[in-house]
Amino acid sequence: MHIVVCLKQIIDPEVPFHLFRIDPVAKTQIRGSHPLVISSYDEVAVEVAIQAKERFGGRVTIISIGTKETVQALHQALAMGADAAILLNDPLFEQTDSFGKSRILAAALRKIGDFDLVLCGRQAGDVEMGLVGPFLAEELGIPCATLVANVVSANGRVRLKRPTETGCEVLEAPLPCLATITNDESNVPRYASVKGIRAAMRTPIPTWTAVDLGLDTATLGEEKRIEIDEMWIPQREIRCELIPGESAEEKAQNLALRLRQMGLL
Amino acid sequence: MTSILTLCVSTHSSIPRSGLELLAAARSLSQQTDVGPVQMLFLGSGVRELAPALIHHGADQVLLVDHPGLEHPNDEVVLGIAEKVVRQFAPRVVLLSHDDLSGGHVGPRLAHRLKTGIVTDCTGFAVQDGHIRWLRPVYGGKAMAYMCVRGPVQIVTIRSRAFEPLPADPLRTGEVQEVPLAPEALSASVVVVERVETAEAEGGLSLDRAEIIVSGGRGMGSAEGFSILHELARVLGAAVGGSRPAADMGWVPHSHLVGQTGKIVAPKLYIAVGISGATQHMAGAGSSKTIVAINKDPDAPIFKLAHIGVIGEWEKIVPPLIQAFQEMRSR
Ligand SMILES: Cc1cc2nc3c(=O)[nH]c(=O)nc-3n(C[C@H](O)[C@H](O)[C@H](O)COP(=O)(O)OP(=O)(O)OC[C@H]3O[C@@H](n4cnc5c(N)ncnc54)[C@H](O)[C@@H]3O)c2cc1C
Ligand SMILES: Nc1ncnc2c1ncn2[C@@H]1O[C@H](COP(=O)(O)O)[C@@H](O)[C@H]1O
Repeated sequence: MHIVVCLKQIIDPEVPFHLFRIDPVAKTQIRGSHPLVISSYDEVAVEVAIQAKERFGGRVTIISIGTKETVQALHQALAMGADAAILLNDPLFEQTDSFGKSRILAAALRKIGDFDLVLCGRQAGDVEMGLVGPFLAEELGIPCATLVANVVSANGRVRLKRPTETGCEVLEAPLPCLATITNDESNVPRYASVKGIRAAMRTPIPTWTAVDLGLDTATLGEEKRIEIDEMWIPQREIRCELIPGESAEEKAQNLALRLRQMGLL
Repeated sequence: MTSILTLCVSTHSSIPRSGLELLAAARSLSQQTDVGPVQMLFLGSGVRELAPALIHHGADQVLLVDHPGLEHPNDEVVLGIAEKVVRQFAPRVVLLSHDDLSGGHVGPRLAHRLKTGIVTDCTGFAVQDGHIRWLRPVYGGKAMAYMCVRGPVQIVTIRSRAFEPLPADPLRTGEVQEVPLAPEALSASVVVVERVETAEAEGGLSLDRAEIIVSGGRGMGSAEGFSILHELARVLGAAVGGSRPAADMGWVPHSHLVGQTGKIVAPKLYIAVGISGATQHMAGAGSSKTIVAINKDPDAPIFKLAHIGVIGEWEKIVPPLIQAFQEMRSR
């Protein structure tokens, strides 16, 4: 089974609130000195892909629309156990919205050709639209399963585990298909081994441009259907009342009293 | 005439709260713009008698698809029906609930098929010169944005709890129209082959129904540490939730994850223990009436987001807290 994971590199979303800045004109986050990381659900998707490879055989390819710096994220995915990685890089790609992104990824998948299962994160960890996965399934004309946590079996068709309100369900889908990945206790991303990191650094990462993908460069950036009109950082108003007390016991007692006073118990 | 179409998939032959929230959002939009009356595409099995309630809660027209094959509606089937109905009625706005499968699955694919724009996970909107600007948290809630949609119809998914259902008005009138369903409309390529029910038994009281929620984070340190929160919850009659690390480590079932990508809850009291207060977590807890934080780090961000804070280690604070609550109970 050939699994292709679509991976996005983003500015570390765990940046503390007081260091978070945006550019209100460009309507995007300011990078500053923050590190770039693999978007968390995409890292989970890499984990799911590698687990499936280990259990059912096959190989894992990572594709990412990004910049030269994205090579670092691709190396990380290779070090976790992916077999190949391709960077999709072209100045034109930066101008696109989610529709454009899915067109670029679809072109790359067509060029790859022999994929069986495509995995996307349920949503990127920055603007979090949650669109590229289902859009990509539509572009490719393949079935789509959303919010999947793992691959249960693969045998001409795949079975996928999807957590629900009250447990989970198992979906069955024909191949090729696309799944968007959510996290659960079965897919916490592994750390790369030292051996894996060494091997990853030796793996060549090809770069594909718009021309390589046969994309119509005239229309790629134009067709925008989603636009950010305004972006700002909201001010938080809550004033936290700190419960006094000399000791932990006293604080606990004061808290209980305060909550009763407020009529909350 | 144009309209606002809302989509609601019934589960367990009842009206989900999210459907009523969509009607409230649509009514408010209908009042502020000229996009027209509010339609609701309502799907389910044995749900015909629920249609009047939808009208009482704000629908002008209910497009009803009542079929035994929709007992456990399949995303693809819902998508197919929604696409057909949207093409037929040509609404200007389609509202879906973000937090069920229809939002994350049907909304995006519908937009792609109709070659139109979509904004997901909206918490509000503003109307400016006749244009609708959709309000939406970005960067895990650290920033807010207004987004606009280009295309023949605006597809929008709404975050749960962003709109309060309107009280039922039994005098409201409206129309119910049955939408016929061709048998082939029920077939799908991705199908559910097995359902496993576990979480409710493990997790105790559901987060949706609880008036009080006790939540733990990475600071609880272990599953054993977490068990004291179950004790605290028992004395308070509370449900137990957790942050993402707590869920990933299996200390709480994933269905009890609170946050932007978990449950959005709104209890009257939310007690967060060993949780730092990341925006992604607070996106789920922020609607609680009163938030109490217990954390040993006085600089933890949660002390800027909680109403009441207790600085200290949970190991020292929670046991006497349980005792204090018990004493209050017995008195
Ligand atoms: C796209 C995306 C989506 C996300 N969605 C969610 C989501 O839905 N829900 C969610 O929760 N998170 C979500 N996250 C993760 C989120 O960003 C944070 O990483 C997470 O909420 C942190 O969990 P925490 O507060 O338990 O852990 P930490 O941030 O590690 O905080 C632990 C806290 O415990 C305190 N502590 C430690 N020991 C003690 C002690 N003995 N007594 C008292 N306090 C103690 C520490 O001072 C610290 O403040 C998401 C992240 C991304 C990128
Ligand atoms: N630049 C990108 N390169 C590769 N995959 C992407 C990119 N952007 C989004 N994706 C994929 O689409 C998913 C959803 O992204 P989004 O629609 O932006 O929330 C991500 O989790 C990725 O799997």
